Amino acid sequence: MAIDPMHQFRIERLVPLDIGGIDASFTNSALFMVAAVALISVFMIFTVSTRAMVPGRWQSMAEISYEFIAKMVRDAAGEGGMKYFPIVFSIFMFILFVNLLGLLPYSFTVTSHIIVTAALALSVFFGVTLIGFAKHGLGFFKLFVPDGVPVALLPIVVLIEIISYFSRPVSHSIRLFANMLAGHITLKVFAGFIIGLSSLGAIGWAGAVLPLIMVVALTALELLVAFLQAYVFTVLTCMYLNDALHPGH
Amino acid sequence: MAYGLRMATELVGGVLVGAGIGFGLDRWLGTSPWLLITFLMLGFGAGVQNVLRATKKMDSERDRAPPGASGT
Repeated sequence: MAIDPMHQFRIERLVPLDIGGIDASFTNSALFMVAAVALISVFMIFTVSTRAMVPGRWQSMAEISYEFIAKMVRDAAGEGGMKYFPIVFSIFMFILFVNLLGLLPYSFTVTSHIIVTAALALSVFFGVTLIGFAKHGLGFFKLFVPDGVPVALLPIVVLIEIISYFSRPVSHSIRLFANMLAGHITLKVFAGFIIGLSSLGAIGWAGAVLPLIMVVALTALELLVAFLQAYVFTVLTCMYLNDALHPGH
Repeated sequence: MAYGLRMATELVGGVLVGAGIGFGLDRWLGTSPWLLITFLMLGFGAGVQNVLRATKKMDSERDRAPPGASGT
């Protein structure tokens, strides 16, 4: 019985490509990223092309997703954060679509690779840091000096704040990656139980109903996790943006 | 599960980054293992700080949210 729950995460080169010694092959991971971007574009462009005053079903979906993110940005980062709404919206839609695409059978989950989530988290981290310095110059360092701390403790507190700041992209990326990886492994392991049990004959078939129920329930849970993790990633992006725009806490 | 994993990654993130900085500085300055130990402690502090901050944020979000709406 060879069921390998890790097989689904294998990267395969579809179009080998080598640019100056860097392996830039078009992989299955890249294929699903392109598919997600294409789907998002189709979804957003065609659903709002009708521009009806009374929105239809599809247009409502597009408007709901816009309002959802717009409210999130306003709540977390204030009105000034709306300037960065496009990137926040893109991040949310990309992660959401990539997560949902990963739930289809035989598909590949891009966010189950830490390099992808780390790239996303690091671009947010550097982007937010740059915005902070561009807006406030050296005043951005106020972020590391909380109010009302005794002078004697200040060096330690500032060090801790700096480490805390640098730990952001780590937790930001690990959370998304770990959730997707763990969820998909659990799904495959339980699906493997069904095959393993059913090879035992009639009793096995009866027993295989239990993991089958689990798989159905887990798929529903994964659907929730796919949305929730996209949401959490975006909320944190907004919070970091807020720190960059208003460093004085 | 989302709550728990969030807290876990906040804490682990702080410790990992602290240890990483300490290890790097040790390598660079040749003071092994003292900076690693110091920054591991500081990293732990940063991790706890992260968790406290995240909890506070979640609490305030839950208080602000209308009844019936679930938070993160």
